Amino acid sequence: MNIAGSIEQHDPGRAALVDGDITVTYGELSANAALVRSALAARSIQPDDRVAVLCGNEPLFISAALGALGVGARVIPMKASNPLPELERKLAVIKPSVILVGEDAQWIHEHGETLGVPLLDLGRVASTPASADAPPLVDRDANDVAFMMLTSGVSGDPKVAMLSHGNLDAGQAAISTGVEDGLKPEDVVLGALPVAHIFGLNAVLLTALRVGALIVLERRFDLERSLGLIRQHQITVLAGAPPMWRLWSQIEAPEGTFASVRIALSGAAALPTDVYEAMLDRHGVSVEEGYGMTETAGVLTTSRGAPMKQRSVGRAVPGIDIVLVDDDGTPVETGDSGEIVVRGPGIFCGYYDDQETTDHVLTDDGWFWTGDVGVFDDEGYLFIVDRVKDLIIVSGFNVYPAEVENILREHPGVDGAVVVGGESIETGETVIAHICGTADLDELDAFAKARLTRYKCPTEYRVVDELPVAPTGKIIRRELR
Amino acid sequence: MSSLPDFRFEDAPDLPGSEHLSKYGVAGLRRLVHRLWDIEVTGREHIPAVGPAILCPNHLSFCDSVFVPLTLPRRIWAIGKGEYLDDWKTKHLFPAFGMIPVDRSGGDAAQEALDTAARVLDGGHLFMIYPEGTRSRSGNLHKARTGAARLALRCNAPIIPVGHSGTLEVQPPDQFMMKPGLPVKVNFGAPMYIDDHGDPTDPRTIRTFADAVMFEIAQLSGQKYVNTYATSDDKPDSSAPTSPTSSPSQPTSSPSVPSKPTRPPLRLPPNRTVDAAFA
Repeated sequence: MNIAGSIEQHDPGRAALVDGDITVTYGELSANAALVRSALAARSIQPDDRVAVLCGNEPLFISAALGALGVGARVIPMKASNPLPELERKLAVIKPSVILVGEDAQWIHEHGETLGVPLLDLGRVASTPASADAPPLVDRDANDVAFMMLTSGVSGDPKVAMLSHGNLDAGQAAISTGVEDGLKPEDVVLGALPVAHIFGLNAVLLTALRVGALIVLERRFDLERSLGLIRQHQITVLAGAPPMWRLWSQIEAPEGTFASVRIALSGAAALPTDVYEAMLDRHGVSVEEGYGMTETAGVLTTSRGAPMKQRSVGRAVPGIDIVLVDDDGTPVETGDSGEIVVRGPGIFCGYYDDQETTDHVLTDDGWFWTGDVGVFDDEGYLFIVDRVKDLIIVSGFNVYPAEVENILREHPGVDGAVVVGGESIETGETVIAHICGTADLDELDAFAKARLTRYKCPTEYRVVDELPVAPTGKIIRRELR
Repeated sequence: MSSLPDFRFEDAPDLPGSEHLSKYGVAGLRRLVHRLWDIEVTGREHIPAVGPAILCPNHLSFCDSVFVPLTLPRRIWAIGKGEYLDDWKTKHLFPAFGMIPVDRSGGDAAQEALDTAARVLDGGHLFMIYPEGTRSRSGNLHKARTGAARLALRCNAPIIPVGHSGTLEVQPPDQFMMKPGLPVKVNFGAPMYIDDHGDPTDPRTIRTFADAVMFEIAQLSGQKYVNTYATSDDKPDSSAPTSPTSSPSQPTSSPSVPSKPTRPPLRLPPNRTVDAAFA
């Protein structure tokens, strides 16, 4: 198998990508991928060599990724917007054989000599004449690594998750052919999520290509432009991170703007309830939350194919086993919360060059400890509680920051809240709230005390101008500890 | 030794136990217990005069099942082992004092216990359940099982947290006889409603509520809370009596959560398939 071959089954004349005024057909995409294979073969790139792709959300990224996969290489997608020092830090970890450079990353050519890694300009590759003797797709085993995804998550430690062809294939099937009413060839998908993130890469881009859908690329998310693209191309599948959904939910768009949307997906971080409600009330769009992460090739649960339940991330997709366990691996009682441990064909192969971290999360029999706490309801719907690492323990009692933050955000004078633990001689830890907004702190304290059990109430409030939130909507708590 | 508080015997002919035996048995036992022990009770005003409520005490000694019910102003029911009905000494006596026998050997034992409890509550009576599930051998207050919280949700009944002390001294583990003359303190807390702890339709609220109940029990009993289930293998914790749970007050700086070593294998029961966990 080779997941790069998934596009070859489609009608070559069928439109695959739209990028501004340019439309790329599946036939052109296949030809461009072949040019990349030729260029990599000419540089003696072998199966399992590491190939970094430094691009924005542009057609060249897709042909580069498919081309590199086609020669059996491992692809490392990297954001063109990475500042140079961050890029150098990541390159030092992954040590690629070559960097494929897209239009949005032309600035890197100035630093080619200091990087110590050969650069290959994708624009030049694309402009070379097509050759009839391009190397064929290299057949790969399902366990062979296809993508190496840089995932610092919210912990800050650089990690490189290795995903095999089989992992990605399973992740794609889970939200297309493997689920009722999944992605279809007739769908028009907005490609506004970063392709260097697993949600944008596998759940949106590669799955859409697999089914033969049309992807309307947006190189950098812009609210007005995205609304224009939704209207112009009659987008049917709209996927976004919570900050994008918040912006869409707040806009007074002309009636019918979202009328064509049949699948609305939120991922990468928890979707705030007020955003969900605003999208439903204002635009009539019911945003579905799924649950997954880089290490699971995307989707573990989905609301597709079953009635949606608000605040739930849906049910396990076919082929995924999910159990909730205590610290010692014992399944919790039905209806109780526990760490989410999963097994299935999408679970990654481990972290690159980091056996210790791999052993910490992945057992020999294939169970992946996600580090998230969740609870099932009686119908198998999963509800996420919080991250295990963010747990604050007050007098032996568990306090999950998300619960406290959600309460604080309900106060009209609070724009944002992030809760962390502080040390305490009396209680071990206490709850410290960082607040953005205009709320009177005494009033906010009374508000919290009326709604939270005593040990969950913040003992200290700190007003800050800005909260550390990643572009995906994830809170970077370590910056406040 | 202690004065006998008011008591109202409510009829419940639809529940197990002879009403005649119950009425006189309970009255006699209340009188005896209050004469033999120095019992101090606080918070009796929190017990509703009518209507259902779930009493959730800490559990340190067998005699907890004597002192908590007999300090109440109303009759109360609880689940007990079905085996008591096989013993001539207990087959009439225990049901008379409110024990509802449930055969715990069957596969649906938990469901049967829950259904039985719901029947008591739906009838407007008091029901007692130990949220720790078993007696604490460590002396600490342990993590709650979720049964009481689920029952509160199902029957729309409040939970009354109960914290007592002194019962361990009255009847230490494995002692058949209760030592008379010792002080026992039983504290009833204010009723707690699941709606105050989150959206009842959100399954996360069950654990939130169960933990909140344990926090109140810790305040009432003065025990140290530990976030692990009580087991029969627990050993007495020498620090338990001197480290009661305290409310947070003075924060300083950052916490440290120890990282775990390599993950343990999952301890799935032999006959359990992951399908049971909604795979």
